[in-house]
Amino acid sequence: MITLESARASKGRFTLDGISLHLASGQYGVVIGPAGSGKTTLLELIAGLVPLRGGRLLLEGVEAQHRPVEARQVGLVYQHAYLFPHLSVRENIAYAGAAADLQQELIARFALSPLLGRAVESLSGGERQLVALVRTLARRPRMLLLDEPFSALDPGRRTRVRREVRALHREWGLSTLQVTHDFTEAGLLGDVAMLLDAGRLLQSGPPTELFRRPANAFVAEFLGAENVFAGTAKALGDGTFEFVTGGLTLHAVGEFANGPAHAVLRAEEITLARDQGHDSARNRFSGRIVDIEPHGAVARVTVDVRGVAIVAALTARSAQDLALAPGLAVVLSFKAMAVHLC
Amino acid sequence: MNRIGIATVVTGLLGSLLLLFLAAPIVQLVGSSGADGLQRLGSDLALRDALLLTAATATAATLLGVLSGTPIAYLLARREFPGRAVISALLDLPLLIPHPVAGMALLLLLGRDSAVGSAALDLGLRIVGTPLGIVAAMLFVSAPLFVSGAREAFVRVDARYEGVARTLGDPPWRAFRRVTLPLAGRGLVASAVVMWARAVSEFGAVVILTYNPKTVSVLSYDRFTGFGLSEALPVAAALVLLALVPLVLLRALRAGEPRT
Repeated sequence: MITLESARASKGRFTLDGISLHLASGQYGVVIGPAGSGKTTLLELIAGLVPLRGGRLLLEGVEAQHRPVEARQVGLVYQHAYLFPHLSVRENIAYAGAAADLQQELIARFALSPLLGRAVESLSGGERQLVALVRTLARRPRMLLLDEPFSALDPGRRTRVRREVRALHREWGLSTLQVTHDFTEAGLLGDVAMLLDAGRLLQSGPPTELFRRPANAFVAEFLGAENVFAGTAKALGDGTFEFVTGGLTLHAVGEFANGPAHAVLRAEEITLARDQGHDSARNRFSGRIVDIEPHGAVARVTVDVRGVAIVAALTARSAQDLALAPGLAVVLSFKAMAVHLC
Repeated sequence: MNRIGIATVVTGLLGSLLLLFLAAPIVQLVGSSGADGLQRLGSDLALRDALLLTAATATAATLLGVLSGTPIAYLLARREFPGRAVISALLDLPLLIPHPVAGMALLLLLGRDSAVGSAALDLGLRIVGTPLGIVAAMLFVSAPLFVSGAREAFVRVDARYEGVARTLGDPPWRAFRRVTLPLAGRGLVASAVVMWARAVSEFGAVVILTYNPKTVSVLSYDRFTGFGLSEALPVAAALVLLALVPLVLLRALRAGEPRT
């Protein structure tokens, strides 16, 4: 269990401030945020490598501010691995003096046997990350902090390693906090997601909550929301809102105050058709296709609606079936519930 | 010839001139008198004693410098604290003042009339005019070189290695011994070698604190003023050869330096 209450820490000129988070025992948390937002510093603060300057840090429910790093039972794996270059791969794994059978088990689980006899300098970035992960796990920590630990692995191996880490997390009941730039990884792994920017925690909650209901426009754009509009919200009194942006009026539902706001609409929530249909969608607009951007099995279609660009996502097959092409007139529709005001 | 070509030629020419200016006198000295100096080791007892004394006192000064300088070099490399800049400047000070002045300053501090000197005398330790004075002079002028080199050696080792060792269960001292020391080791040894070489060649401060017994540098000066250049040259050549030993060692160490 990891708890931070209004925590503050500095590293050089960088400051983490007002960080409050709670990761229950056995939970898997993911930390996301732009480069330089303080993700690594947050992990180092929890590990004890960066001192707490204010607020509280509790590990397993116990105040940990003055507990030495080596007594915290926290394992930390850096993106750059930091394998000890004067030791062999085998010596790195055995560094913490773990039981031989545990080392063997981990070596087998992560398929590291072929690397054992090699010098650290001869390893690739991905191999180094794997060895660093096993070295940390061999100490059998109660809390695991991972700083983009899979970033240098090839996609196939990354999937296998991710699965193995998730399995160990469950089997050992580890409280795990992982920094990642990969939103898919965040969604796949995390019970809780936290978004940092400029040393502050902007939002935390289940990953789907962050994706669906971002706290502000920055969070929405950072998490890849395709449609973020600035405008004005006006309550209609029945729990619905009118949101005016440019020449468009969108319908939304939820709890919000009247006034300036942002509307967030994910591309996959939008239905695209060649002609007007009849369904329950409160938002329906005619427009003209500006651009079609294929992304593997998905196509992102940008439609100009009264001077506002709206991006819709549909399968490449659907785009083909509808014979979509730039300049074509189409109808976009989406439910009021798909529009999130923030 | 393009501009880069001309720049390369000019740089090479200037560099070669400097190299020639630095190396030529030493090569000439060793070439003309090195063999003579080595031969005299068998017959010239004063030279042999001076060499042994120089090596022994330089080694003692280096050991003291390493023992006392390593912790402060580590602190300067790793920690931010009030007064850090002042401490750095103080450590560089002996490198900036003329060495005879350093000798006089030490004489003031350690002479029999000073508080430290008289306290040492009470304990039966005479510093000025003894090998202890030589060690003190050597330590004063050469320890800053060790601290500076050791600090650089520690800076080159990313502090995150230590952090990882701590998360793997090592208390600070064990992380230092198992990780930092091996990784900075070559740099520390190289700095100690530089310190030793500097100590061996020290004259100005040593001659003021302890004229007798004589180190090789004092002996060569003594021979020069008493008997002329021809008598001083073999002694000087022996001193250069002694200083070459650590230089060769240093190059060998740096050739195999690991990347951290």
